[in-house]
Amino acid sequence: MTVRVVLVDDHHMFRTGVKTELLEAAPGVIDFVGEAANVEDAVAVIRKEEPDVVLLDVHLPGGTGHGGVDVIHGCVGVETAAGAPVRFLALSVSDAAEDVIAVIRAGARGYVTKTISATDLASAIKRVADGDAVFSPRLAGFVLDAFGVAAGEIAEVDEELDRLSAREREVMRLIARGYQYKEVAKELYISIKTVETHVSSVLRKLQLSSRHELTAWAMGRRLI
Amino acid sequence: MQSSPQAVPRLTRPTQGRVLAGVCRGIADHVGVDVRVVRILFIIVGMVSGAGIVAYLFLWAMTPVEETLGAGRPIDPAQPVSAQAQNPPSPERTGGTAMPRGSVLLAVGVLTILVGGIALLQGTGTDVRAGILLPVLLVAIGAVVAWAQLDATQRARWTGIAGWRGLGMARLAVGIGVVALGLFAFVTRGQSAAQVWDVALATLSILVGTALICAPFAVRLWSDFRREQDARVRETERADIAAHLHDGVLQTLALIQRGADDPAYVVTLARKQERELRSWLYGSNEDPSQTLAAAVTAAAAEVEDLHSVAIDVVVTGDRPLDEGGTALVRAVREALLNAVRHGSPPVSVYVEIGPDAVEAFVRDHGAGFDVDAVPHDRLGVRESILGRMTRHGGTARIRRREPGTEVILTMPHQEPDPDAAPRARARAGASSGASAPSAASAAAPAASDANGATTMNGAPRIPETAEPTTIQGESIR
Repeated sequence: MTVRVVLVDDHHMFRTGVKTELLEAAPGVIDFVGEAANVEDAVAVIRKEEPDVVLLDVHLPGGTGHGGVDVIHGCVGVETAAGAPVRFLALSVSDAAEDVIAVIRAGARGYVTKTISATDLASAIKRVADGDAVFSPRLAGFVLDAFGVAAGEIAEVDEELDRLSAREREVMRLIARGYQYKEVAKELYISIKTVETHVSSVLRKLQLSSRHELTAWAMGRRLI
Repeated sequence: MQSSPQAVPRLTRPTQGRVLAGVCRGIADHVGVDVRVVRILFIIVGMVSGAGIVAYLFLWAMTPVEETLGAGRPIDPAQPVSAQAQNPPSPERTGGTAMPRGSVLLAVGVLTILVGGIALLQGTGTDVRAGILLPVLLVAIGAVVAWAQLDATQRARWTGIAGWRGLGMARLAVGIGVVALGLFAFVTRGQSAAQVWDVALATLSILVGTALICAPFAVRLWSDFRREQDARVRETERADIAAHLHDGVLQTLALIQRGADDPAYVVTLARKQERELRSWLYGSNEDPSQTLAAAVTAAAAEVEDLHSVAIDVVVTGDRPLDEGGTALVRAVREALLNAVRHGSPPVSVYVEIGPDAVEAFVRDHGAGFDVDAVPHDRLGVRESILGRMTRHGGTARIRRREPGTEVILTMPHQEPDPDAAPRARARAGASSGASAPSAASAAAPAASDANGATTMNGAPRIPETAEPTTIQGESIR
């Protein structure tokens, strides 16, 4: 089954490059159904095409000046023909923590930098289309920092929103070490599916946690 | 937050530990003598010629208030933000009345001496011309009260404490009132009220007329001044950006154009410039000689430049750089050099700075290497990584991954943070169940303990079955 993708980026060259590379690296997997260069066009295209995945640049002209975050807010509730929500994968040159936290908390299912290889990007797109989360090592490092894991805070119960569980911490640490999901699974003697569950759960915590340290952490670095 | 003992503090007026306006305390701090000496000097010079008083007033007007109070405390990344957020600024720093009690006593004393002195002089028959002296004195007192209010307003801006506005306004009003009274007394010397009224009316009309004429000029002058100030700020900022672009980006672009036929060179240049620009835009500007995170990042950048291989650096937490940290950074650098020389990209390094130890993971995706296969004369791995870590009380392990190699370095903190200890214990309890699956520690704890000493001596007696190879020093604690 092909993944229907809308590509949102304000650089024409970059859009062309990504399309060419992806079609070469994973032929027959990805179907580009539309593209846009600013917030308004992006929202219109996404509402019209209802794609599975939106590859979203973090910095975009238009809207209220928040770029990718505005696009996500503008597409709340849009569903694909199959009834799944439209999922966003953020793609940016910036690996500044403020961009990461903003776009993830707005609802993106993952964050990759533009230096990612085409093969990795294709598998990230598939993963996001399946409803899983995509964490880069840097994003994992950010999560570990923001949730105070480095300082030794571990949740007693998995459901706790403000801290990571011991297992989630292990998964995040391995991802930060540059491990692929399948390597993480092998290392921890669990299935890839379980790894994906843990990562999705961390993503949910990152999006929903009202942990005041998360805010304070961002404030301390003048991110908000 | 405190300046280092060697550095001479700038001349400022502190808000703590002062009697009047903090001038003496500020000078004492600046020069480095006892504050009492300065005060006595000022009093003597003030008594003898009055120059001390003039100097005091001049310094009061010209010396800025100490600014440290209002500056926000930087967040210490090594501490959990919660602890810092719950720790409010200590009350003795934020408190402090606008006008110390000592100044009231001082003012009363000075007034008493003055009045007594005048009375004494009158009694002995000297004409002190009280009719002039008293109004002048009134004007001076009023001016001091009003200025003191200005001072307090400025201080409130630094400290962020609004204080009681009513009191401030009242003091300003009293100051102006006293000045007006003094002027009035000065003018009315030996004249009737009716004459004074005429004079006052004339003066007032002149003042109003002057104000009317001058107001537009003053307003324009003020707005010009503001505009010029804004423009200067923008200009400085622009010059700063331009300088950075010129020194960095433009140079790199020129080099890229000249070296366009050498792809590797261009990639190196682009990568270096990207990293530099990125750190300028989003960077923490930490000094690599001060903090561990900055040191690791700098080491990775250096290796990246040397070998033009991209290295992904992820660091969580931070702490000041100590001896163990320096050893760890050197070992990480060596491991990275190995990774870029013998492994293949992507090369990544992850450093977790925890409450009781620092762990570093250097990963590459090459063919992998075997510690056994490393010739004896090659000191890179054995000496620079394994030896260095064990000498400083840490451990080093080398694991073969499916593609590539992972070097795992652990360095316990030399002096553990006392308040981090309970958290560390909690964490150790939690992770003993969770992090055990690491194949090395599960498979060969006994073996590594047994052969740790021999491998430290450099003897190649690493068991062939030990894969991943485990090399540990003496017990850490």
